[in-house]
Amino acid sequence: SNSVSASGGTGVVWREVEGEAPTSPGSSGYAGERGSSNASSASGIEEIGERDGGLVNGIADSQPAWVPGKRHVNEDDASVSWRKRKKHFFILSNSGKPIYSRYGDEHKLAGFSATLQAIISFVENGGDRVKLVRAGKHQVVFLVKGPIYLVCISCTEEPYESLRGQLELLYGQMILILTKSVNRCFEKNSKFDMTPLLGGTDAVFSSLIHSFSCLWQLLGETDDSLANVYVLEASADTYLMLLTTRSDAFYHLKECRASIEAVFLKSNVLSEVQRSMLDGGMHIEDLPVDPTSRSGSASSHLGQHSPERFRDTYTGIGGPCGLWHFIYRSIYLDQYVSSEFSSPINTPQQQKRLFRAYQKIYASMHDKGFGPHKTQFRRDENYVLLCWVTQDFELYAAFDPLADKALAIKTCNRVCQWVKDVENEIFLLGASPFSW
Amino acid sequence: MASRRRMLLKVIILGDSGVGKTSLMNQFVNHKFSNQYKATIGADFLTKEVQIDDRLFTLQIWDTAGQERFQSLGVAFYRGADCCVLVYDVNVTKSFDDLNRWREDFLLQASPHDPDNFPFVVLGNKIDVDGGNSRVVSSKKAKAWCASKGNIPYFETSAKDGTNVEAAFQCIAKNAIKNEPEEDTYLPDTIDMSGGQQQRSSGCDC
Repeated sequence: SNSVSASGGTGVVWREVEGEAPTSPGSSGYAGERGSSNASSASGIEEIGERDGGLVNGIADSQPAWVPGKRHVNEDDASVSWRKRKKHFFILSNSGKPIYSRYGDEHKLAGFSATLQAIISFVENGGDRVKLVRAGKHQVVFLVKGPIYLVCISCTEEPYESLRGQLELLYGQMILILTKSVNRCFEKNSKFDMTPLLGGTDAVFSSLIHSFSCLWQLLGETDDSLANVYVLEASADTYLMLLTTRSDAFYHLKECRASIEAVFLKSNVLSEVQRSMLDGGMHIEDLPVDPTSRSGSASSHLGQHSPERFRDTYTGIGGPCGLWHFIYRSIYLDQYVSSEFSSPINTPQQQKRLFRAYQKIYASMHDKGFGPHKTQFRRDENYVLLCWVTQDFELYAAFDPLADKALAIKTCNRVCQWVKDVENEIFLLGASPFSW
Repeated sequence: MASRRRMLLKVIILGDSGVGKTSLMNQFVNHKFSNQYKATIGADFLTKEVQIDDRLFTLQIWDTAGQERFQSLGVAFYRGADCCVLVYDVNVTKSFDDLNRWREDFLLQASPHDPDNFPFVVLGNKIDVDGGNSRVVSSKKAKAWCASKGNIPYFETSAKDGTNVEAAFQCIAKNAIKNEPEEDTYLPDTIDMSGGQQQRSSGCDC
């Protein structure tokens, strides 16, 4: 059901599918979960064994394809390589027994997970909750879900909200596999050892974690109630999965069945997906100079159907006025579209770095303390980032760091106009019943 | 028949300050001993793999602080323990007398399902000190106490020279498994879709 996001094409995504791991490891177009050679990270921390040198020359093709599954099982907390990994994920029980670790063998890490439990419990005993610990470049993010504790240790400089959201998704994935029956097991027997039940699911968790650096995850808001998952057996080889924020959604399933069918028919999801894959998405190089004058032939803006593409007229890299990439989210439809990656954002590392930059600016736009903001213009050594939030849409655009401010603003207006002009083609307009 | 999968056993070590809990653990896990005393702050955690009857087990050993001022973990600490090791110093009467309190406290905090049969192991440590001349708690007295508490297995150990340490931990692991409940088949949550209108969840609808 998430094949739309897996197409790597236009990237239309419904919120309802965000809890799933992508079915295809290549969905993000990333060749691997590598250390983002962040210019500002001078600490020398990098993902050993998965190191890349692709940032400078950008030979993405020479990189091996990412394969899901458990890595570095022989490591434990005493290994230097383990300690240097940029992002760890742990799941443990409230008795400190390990359930899952992204890197290393769970049993060898039993002492480490006991330490994590001790930290969480110590704070809990004082009637408080530990949410985040900062230690130098590292952030330790905690999430307690009843008898299940989830911890992320990261030096990726992602905002706390993002990391916490990722832990929520990890929990959702676990519940999807085992259902909330796990809570009952712990009530019955606090010694309950969950690890064997998750045997063979390493690939699922690693794929999910891998997808955390994909664009489609950025705009999804996760909250505590996400993890209501219903798996319905439609036939021997077909399952329908329903992820919902409503705990009582099940009781409406019968009524909803008809409307689900109607939605599938009306919105023609599958052909939409196929078409967007064929069309190949929006290219910044195709940004019309004067969008309104061309609105009559909207389809010509989309890849395959635009033989008159003006790529060659731009002498520099990227799109007009230094535009490198954008994401546009329709608030009313709760769907988003992003431009295809093109030069100079064409290596997985650069895409990941841009993703992290978006992630940061997204968090700052929605900061509860100082925000929400309407517009933001930020220039650093890597990009000019321009954000614009209105009642109808959110726009995030990345430009060349030397881009002119006035021109960048003008270009964003053009992007918005462009998206509106081709709205019928890129969004699923009949999809509103998805958010019942 | 038990499955062949690897199992993790949570083992808690309790006892008065300075009886040698950390040293016992270090001797068992690292085969090392130091005469220098360093108080454990809060807790320390070590793991060791043991093999019993062809099966591999990982012992997750929770070495606790004996000093009262560090005992702030309580319930959380004892939760889900598979075995509890009570340690005293054969040269210090009070450390033996306190075993009762440690045991009661553990049962109270951990509240295991079957407290009468919860696996404990008692270790009388430091039998090497002064060639045994400074010993004040006799083997007979210790064994009598263990017998009165449901036949708790008893070992006399020396963390310094390693006497009985391996044997004691083998026994600890064996006892922990013995208490393991019959493995239930895991039943995921299911909902009967054929039934009529289901009862609504008690959650608020607003």
